[in-house]
Amino acid sequence: MNDVNVSLGGLAGYRSGPTAGPEIDEAVFTIEDLSFWYGGFRALRDITMRIPARTITALIGPSGCGKSTFLRTLNRMNDLIPGVSLSGTVRYHDLDLYGDEVDPVEVRHRIGMVFQKPNPFPKTVYENVAYGPRIHRMASGKGELDDIVEQSLRRAALWDEVFDKLDQSALALSGGQQQRLCIARAIAVGPDVILMDEPASALDPIATLRIEELMYELKETYTIVIVTHNMQQAARVSELTAFFTVDVTEDSQRTGVLVEYDETGRIFTRPSQQRTEDYVSGRFG
Amino acid sequence: MTDTGSGHDIRHHFDELLAEIRQGAVAMGSLVLENTRRLTDALLENDLDRARKVVAADDEVDALYISLEQGVFEVIARQQPVASDLRFLVAITRLLYEIERSGDLVVNAAKGLLMRDGYEIPQAIHGTMARTSALVADLFGKSIDVLADLDGSAAQWLDRLDDEIDDLVGELYTMIGRSSDDLGFDVGMELSRVTRYLERIADHAVNIGEHVAFIVTGSFPGHSSATTDEG
Repeated sequence: MNDVNVSLGGLAGYRSGPTAGPEIDEAVFTIEDLSFWYGGFRALRDITMRIPARTITALIGPSGCGKSTFLRTLNRMNDLIPGVSLSGTVRYHDLDLYGDEVDPVEVRHRIGMVFQKPNPFPKTVYENVAYGPRIHRMASGKGELDDIVEQSLRRAALWDEVFDKLDQSALALSGGQQQRLCIARAIAVGPDVILMDEPASALDPIATLRIEELMYELKETYTIVIVTHNMQQAARVSELTAFFTVDVTEDSQRTGVLVEYDETGRIFTRPSQQRTEDYVSGRFG
Repeated sequence: MTDTGSGHDIRHHFDELLAEIRQGAVAMGSLVLENTRRLTDALLENDLDRARKVVAADDEVDALYISLEQGVFEVIARQQPVASDLRFLVAITRLLYEIERSGDLVVNAAKGLLMRDGYEIPQAIHGTMARTSALVADLFGKSIDVLADLDGSAAQWLDRLDDEIDDLVGELYTMIGRSSDDLGFDVGMELSRVTRYLERIADHAVNIGEHVAFIVTGSFPGHSSATTDEG
């Protein structure tokens, strides 16, 4: 009889090397040997993975594993932080995202982002959604802009709740509504990808489920990459899950590494790496 | 490799619950094993008192079954198990069923003896019946050991032990057929039923080994291995 505290997972024959990852037909992102530094601190080491189109891919892992840093490399959001550098390649379709000719503003137009805390502009509901299309000159007149706003709010499953308060302040909406407004704002500029950094962690369970339902609808049109601390959320919404963790090197340097990337069902029923098992079963991190 | 030792403190209570369920299943298996041996003695010695004890002893098995099933549902509802924990909890409900059914088959055989106010097993069949029931009890006991140790590699040799039992069961059917005139229809039928119960208990034991293999490896024996392939 095993000792009472022996993890059942410890008995399985785990693979020792990195996993091959899931089969992917059409990759939106192809990341190869990506390393990332904040000054002298290496936050990510040798990340290689492909992220498929019109799929929800979840990034999970303990604090400090670099999953949010990784997410931000996908639309060059980290460029805004002084002293950062990276090596390796991040390809968006056929474009080298960090190539000299690439305009980061155009990148963020195609690859939108939704943050942990809903951050609507202190403007009306309408203006929040109309802002992006207006600066990108996407509409030729008021009528067309109205259409974009309505379509975006509908896609974000918010229209029915706000159609009669478009001229009210966005800050008067509930937290869950504000987050869906931020999703509508991201959708309004016609992106291809929506990156979500803990989009529901500040919301109550019902608002969280609404966001999750919305993600499920959005993936028909968009590629979604979500960072979440909530493993049940990753298990519920994503098709693919990448597990990152913190590796401590011989000279006590901590760095984020990708441990396992596979179909979500597999990650949560029979992961191939012991470290994944320990994390998803709540025994580490 | 991660140091999982420190991690265990995080879900110490959860680990204790899993261990309690496994120990409960082993205890339930041990009760059924004990009752299988009691039944064997009752049948071979035509002992009605022992047969009554077999029937009475099943209440404890049933009570344990219900309480363990309830415990499993509660752990699933409250702890959100995944990976090997989830495999264990899903497989254990099947395992408990295999054990509970085995217990019922033992009781059926004892009730058959009681309903007939006892019957003597003819000398020609007695030895083979004794050998078969001893092997069945032995196989069932081994499957419970496999569960206790979570031995994921045992399914195959349990299956081989079952082959030997199947051969003996075939011999028993032939013997019962040949002796049908001496036995009479009723006792002949009853002995056929007892033989069938023994065969089924052995099958349940083999299934227990397969469920344990699933818990440990993530796949059933004979199917492609899910977690042990070298990547």
